[in-house]
Amino acid sequence: MRPVAVLLAWVAIAAAASNETILIHNADVYPVTSAPMKGVSVLIQDGKIADIGPRLAPAKGVRVIEARGLRVYPGMLDSGTELGLSEISGVRVTVDTGELGEFMPQLKALVAVNPESEHFGVVRVNGITSAMTFPSSGGGGGGGRFGGGERQIISGQAALIHTDGWTWEDMEINRSAAMHLIFPAIAGRGGRGGNADFGPDLIPNSGGGTYTQARRTYEQQIAKLSEFFDDARKYQKARAANLPGFVRDLKFEAMLPVLDRKMPVAISASRASAIHDAIAFAEKENIRIVILQPRELDRVAPELKAKNIPVILGRVLALPETEDSPYDEAFTLPLVAYKAGVKFAFGTFTNEFVRNLPYQAATAVAFGLPYEEALKAITINPAEIWGAGDKLGSVEKGKFADLIVTDGDPLEIQTQVKHLFIKGKEVALTNKQTRLYEKYSARP
Amino acid sequence: MKKLFLAVLVAFAPLCAETIVIQNANVLTVTKGSFKGSILIRDGKIVEAGEKVDVPEGATKIDAANQYVMPGIIDCHSHIAIDGGVNEGSVAVSSMVNIRDVLDPEDIAIYRALAGGVTTANILHGSANPIGGCTLPIKLRWGKDAQGLIFQGATPGIKFALGENPKSAGNPQGGRGGATTNARYPATRMGVEDVIREAFNEAKTYKAEWDEYNAKVARGEHGLIPPRTDLRLEPLKEVLEGKRYVHAHCYRADEILMLLRVADDYGFKIRTLQHVLEGYKVADEIAAHGAGASTFSDWWSYKVEAYDAIPYNTAMMVKKGIIVSVNSDDAELMRHLNTEAAKAMKYGGLTETQALALVTINPAKQLGIDNRVGSIEPGKDADLVIYDKDPMSDYAKVQKVLIDGTVYFDRDTEVSGRAAKQAAKQRLIDKEKQNQPRQGGRGGRGGQGGQVQ
Amino acid sequence: MTRKLLTGLLLVCACALAQSPEAVAIVNAKIVTVSGPTIDRGTVVVRNGLIEAVGENVSVPADAWVVAGEGLTVYPGLIDPLSTVGLEAAAPAAATGGRAGRGAAAPMTLAAPAATPTAPAERARGPEDRPATTSWLLAADELQPTDRGIETIRSAGFTTSATFPNRGIFAGQGSLIDLASGEKAGDMVVVPALGQYISLSRGGGGGFGAGFPSSLMGVIAYIRQIYLDAAHYQLVKDAYAKNPRGMERPAYDRALEGVLASSRILFPANRLVEMDRMLRFAAELKQPVILYGGREAYRPEALEVLKKAAAPVLVSMRWPEAPRDPNPEDVDSFRVLEMRDNAPTAPALLEKAGVRFALYTDGLEQPRDIQRAVKKAIDAGLSRDNAIRALTLSPAEIYGVSDRMGSIDKGKIANLVVTKGEIFDDRTSIQMIFVDGKKYTPAETNGGGRGMTTTQPGENQ
Repeated sequence: MRPVAVLLAWVAIAAAASNETILIHNADVYPVTSAPMKGVSVLIQDGKIADIGPRLAPAKGVRVIEARGLRVYPGMLDSGTELGLSEISGVRVTVDTGELGEFMPQLKALVAVNPESEHFGVVRVNGITSAMTFPSSGGGGGGGRFGGGERQIISGQAALIHTDGWTWEDMEINRSAAMHLIFPAIAGRGGRGGNADFGPDLIPNSGGGTYTQARRTYEQQIAKLSEFFDDARKYQKARAANLPGFVRDLKFEAMLPVLDRKMPVAISASRASAIHDAIAFAEKENIRIVILQPRELDRVAPELKAKNIPVILGRVLALPETEDSPYDEAFTLPLVAYKAGVKFAFGTFTNEFVRNLPYQAATAVAFGLPYEEALKAITINPAEIWGAGDKLGSVEKGKFADLIVTDGDPLEIQTQVKHLFIKGKEVALTNKQTRLYEKYSARP
Repeated sequence: MKKLFLAVLVAFAPLCAETIVIQNANVLTVTKGSFKGSILIRDGKIVEAGEKVDVPEGATKIDAANQYVMPGIIDCHSHIAIDGGVNEGSVAVSSMVNIRDVLDPEDIAIYRALAGGVTTANILHGSANPIGGCTLPIKLRWGKDAQGLIFQGATPGIKFALGENPKSAGNPQGGRGGATTNARYPATRMGVEDVIREAFNEAKTYKAEWDEYNAKVARGEHGLIPPRTDLRLEPLKEVLEGKRYVHAHCYRADEILMLLRVADDYGFKIRTLQHVLEGYKVADEIAAHGAGASTFSDWWSYKVEAYDAIPYNTAMMVKKGIIVSVNSDDAELMRHLNTEAAKAMKYGGLTETQALALVTINPAKQLGIDNRVGSIEPGKDADLVIYDKDPMSDYAKVQKVLIDGTVYFDRDTEVSGRAAKQAAKQRLIDKEKQNQPRQGGRGGRGGQGGQVQ
Repeated sequence: MTRKLLTGLLLVCACALAQSPEAVAIVNAKIVTVSGPTIDRGTVVVRNGLIEAVGENVSVPADAWVVAGEGLTVYPGLIDPLSTVGLEAAAPAAATGGRAGRGAAAPMTLAAPAATPTAPAERARGPEDRPATTSWLLAADELQPTDRGIETIRSAGFTTSATFPNRGIFAGQGSLIDLASGEKAGDMVVVPALGQYISLSRGGGGGFGAGFPSSLMGVIAYIRQIYLDAAHYQLVKDAYAKNPRGMERPAYDRALEGVLASSRILFPANRLVEMDRMLRFAAELKQPVILYGGREAYRPEALEVLKKAAAPVLVSMRWPEAPRDPNPEDVDSFRVLEMRDNAPTAPALLEKAGVRFALYTDGLEQPRDIQRAVKKAIDAGLSRDNAIRALTLSPAEIYGVSDRMGSIDKGKIANLVVTKGEIFDDRTSIQMIFVDGKKYTPAETNGGGRGMTTTQPGENQ
């Protein structure tokens, strides 16, 4: 695109207020929650999807986008990111995840989100309209991979955000979408390989000692965790009694919605035994949970299904866990979840790769996952898992107009996103990278 | 596992030897168009590829059943199959070390890369040093010994590295005052240039000594003592003589330009710039020098020097006439270089053929092996990958991989063989458990020390 | 008369003071000569440290002290072809941080080659700094005859040890020593220079901070450079010796002298890949080589590669074991399981393939542990005769001293071990050991084995 054209487009889009009425005319609409509809139109009004139908006539003053041959999908949702919280992963001062402290439920990822992060523009180009952004970094947080500090167990509240907005308030969908808990783990085999930024093989318990020692430490940490929950309940009770002398404690305040089952706990746990123990813990504490990045699903899938516990799968394009594991172990994990009837969504767990979310889903399809399931896992499933199923995740009347208009199947690499809407406002598909592209294309 | 795999290989023995024909395929030659037809292979070479190919008597037939065949993928930047450390990071110039000495043919990463369609990989020293060690390309002939991996006849290489990585040893993080005792020069990009210039300065002197000696010998002089062979300077002498390719890891436009100018000054060419994420900013200069560029499709923001990386880089450099390849530098990314290449269709509008070239004929040219591999043409090695769908689609899966006409990976065989492998493993586990019950209280039985891997 | 009394008295005193008689005869014992058929009932006569006679019908000299051999078996003394016994407590298994037991011989293991004591020494900046090199050392010059390890290993039936220094990359040359106690060091030495011990030890961390070399390819490049330098050094020295006038004097380089003085090298190799690599490397360097480690020698490809190179291999008898306290969720890889299962079959397979090999203790020193280790190989298919040979005549042949030891033959050195029961059997006890004709009894072992250098705390009982 020539620079002038870009400027004009940008001006046009910026001028459009979010309560502008837009008609996407004559497109193939893929609602996700129902069958695709060919040659219909979508009416966007007041930031919502006002109507979908074959014979919507554009009213006067309504901006019309001619979409013959194009498709409309819900914008995609990445369930595992640090968007806005981490700019250059190798440079600590640009990273705001992984605070010090073992139990930090009062921390809120949302308030540290930088709306101007270059990552937002980059991921929008490929159709990501919302994301879960987490307060913990990989490797156990608490200074985590940057050394020092205790290992984090509860790292804070993850936020569900739109990938565009003037301020984090503007971007907020739910500032307390989930409490992030990194379940204790017995350090197992070394050499995980790949880029496990959220790697749940975290709290290194054994430190070179024997399994017995590692097991003991593991159990101690679970005991600590239980104790923390007990203390939270005591606080809950005292708060209800509200006797004189009662003092507010911000940490336990933050735990109240968890204890009331209003906020789910997103638990990072990769091995079967840890997942099993996490489920048992949730039963005991009577809390709602979601499992993040499980790697050993076979044994625990029935349990997950029986208790209706959803999972967020990490990158599909990942190396197998052990030398003898089949080469396509990670590619077929979504199929394992699907076959077991476990509800799942995808997360990339690294800012750098968020824009490739749909391609992670496509790989799962290549290795057996039905296409519809893959699409759901990046749209309606995460919306429902994170408590926003009434607001986004599908092209349905009344939901946020978080939409993408594409020239093909968004899971295919060659597909381009032509238009992107967040809460009914069209967002320009330009970013730092397109600007550099323009600049250096014009080098004489 | 090894025995089982050997058994599999034996089962495919007929496919190794004589004549093989792959039929009913969508053939993507890369250099000579695409068509529906067949490929005839004999003694490990492609004999013929066309819509109608005569099938000789006794030829083994592979029915490609409308699947897609493309040349084996060539990864221009990899660190798999290396034993005992990827970097000799103790010194800033480690040209004396050679990857060839430490190849590990039993690295499972080889098999996993095969399963992702890679047939040739350029195995490199790491990026800890401005001048690293000697390198070489290998073919992923899983099951052969170290010698059997080497891509015979390929020009050897040497690894250079610019930017943040080689600076790190000399510029330790948080090293405020005092942490320079074990610091290694250089600590800045300025120093990186100096190290390289110094090394070539020495190499020039060394070369002059040897040239003088050789001249004397040629003149028939006797009783001469040759100069001392210095393994550090030998490869640099070879670079000056054009006998060894330079593969230089670089990110920022300024350091790319710096290296091109150093090479110009010393009269040699940079064969490939590796990563070269800001190559788009100095594409004209790269093209003028004649360096190839081997880059990531869309990695960015993991380091400061990767912050200006753009996914359009590949297409932009292609359009300036640079020979561009897309590489992995990672054992996982290596398994889907076909889709990495496809990203250049999305970001920058390359055609499918141009995208395919990024992981086939282009890296072949960069490594100087394009007479042997990189496209489906008569006379070239039968290094081929069969995908069940168009390889530019991320719905495609690798079905079979051939190297020199031998099937080294077959998904069907691999999948159906899993149960047997698992059973064999279980037998060993059970056997060991049986022999162990008399544990505990056998003190002094000789601990395992550190030997058990 | 007084003179007779005096001389008589002196003789009596002399006899009382004498540590051992001039001649010893073990009569009516079973004799396993190794070089020939077993003698079911025979006699061995030892005099002046040598075997004077051996056979079924050998007459016992009048001055010989007679040892009743009924129910006993005589074997040639065991030879440990790779050990550190007799040297100052060598570096403990550095990489694993295992604690060296008191007097424990350092294991010659490959995972934990004894690193040069690090620290304030300047980091090597390259091969020119000759890192981790003490090639000029000769074990014979460093012997500590009072090392308690000598007694310990002798009690396991060993009479001879090929003792090598093992610190660094070029550790120095080993010497063949007979394990006699309290002698002058020089008296123990059978062969002063056996060859250069080379390990692939390197500074930790693979990179920044460690001195050169920090990677495997770095060590290999260094070794290669040393040999190039040695060849060049020799050229220059020869030229100078022929005609010094007008020529600049070459500098004396003891590192290169040490390398040039070594008639063979010892290279480590456990995996097949390593064996292949190190044999090729030795061929490139044009050095006769003995491989030590041999963990994967059971693999057909390994047997082939060894056979082709005609290189002997010293197989560690420290068989790999399953971890003691593993995570029940973790299973070792197939490759590792297979290796653990097959490792003890290596000696039998090497024997069948006709590859020259010997077993070495690799730091094991308690008789019980050694007996069990050898028994394991026997249970895995090595015949007892070949097991004995692997610790007697085979190591003697490998080091070129089979004309002097390794079997019970007339004229050979009187190194013998006498057992009650077949050697290496569980209930067999060692009765006496003869080293250079001198008789020793096995040391008391307290509480059955102090245990090895282990890395599992709480394992020693």
